[in-house]
Amino acid sequence: MARRKRMLASDSTGEDDVNLTPMLDVVFILLIFFIVTAQFIKEPGVDISRTQTDNLEKQNPLGILIAIDDNSDIYIDKEKVTLQEVGFRIRELREDNPKGRLVLQADQDSEAGVLISLLETINKEDGLTQVPVSVEQE
Amino acid sequence: MRGRQHKQPEEASVDLTPMLDVVFILLIFFIVTSTFIQEQALGLEPPPPPSPDNPDQKQDAILVYVGADNLITVNGRFTDITGVRANMERLRAENPESALIIQAHPQARTGTIVKIRDEAYNAKMERVNIVQSEQ
Repeated sequence: MARRKRMLASDSTGEDDVNLTPMLDVVFILLIFFIVTAQFIKEPGVDISRTQTDNLEKQNPLGILIAIDDNSDIYIDKEKVTLQEVGFRIRELREDNPKGRLVLQADQDSEAGVLISLLETINKEDGLTQVPVSVEQE
Repeated sequence: MRGRQHKQPEEASVDLTPMLDVVFILLIFFIVTSTFIQEQALGLEPPPPPSPDNPDQKQDAILVYVGADNLITVNGRFTDITGVRANMERLRAENPESALIIQAHPQARTGTIVKIRDEAYNAKMERVNIVQSEQ
């Protein structure tokens, strides 16, 4: 009798418990989605004003961001870098992110000389024949 | 015998709650750290490597020069940003094979260069080069 009571009790607790397995499935799928889509991009951390253009293309997935601010200083990963260092920094970032696209964030008031030298360096390091420069829809 | 039969399913079911806690924490971490940066960009060509066989190609090229004062000249004629496209198209009509060279003084504004490249995209120019002039 006692055994039977225990059996009944265990049965009832089993029914009280909500079955968490389907919820766990959903949460796992969400988790995997966020792990896969998480892009750990090192942002240059400077505000730039973009040029407004008619022709633009969405860059996906992003990989490396290089910024030129309005004083024509180059920033990578919140650090000011010199033009000579850029090649090395690109190679370093490429190790973490071999597939992401490189985008140059050039302020519209920066000097063209810096931009063109940087285009040359990027072409040498990354082999791009067209370097994406961040712009805004006109 | 009966007792053992009933005990077995009870022990087999693992308590999933602590695991769910961990998974939730991971989920929240990834939601918070995920940054969805969007970038829209325009492609700019880097300058071509210096080669000795360039000069004869330059003869039938359209040269857009941007000076240090941001004044734009198209093959020697002064114009402004709105007139660049018309000038490019006129010169291309004269010589359909011509390439476009955007030459910028190092002190010119980046915005002007990007705008001219944008106009060249509008005019569907092929073979565009962006180079730097000497000081």
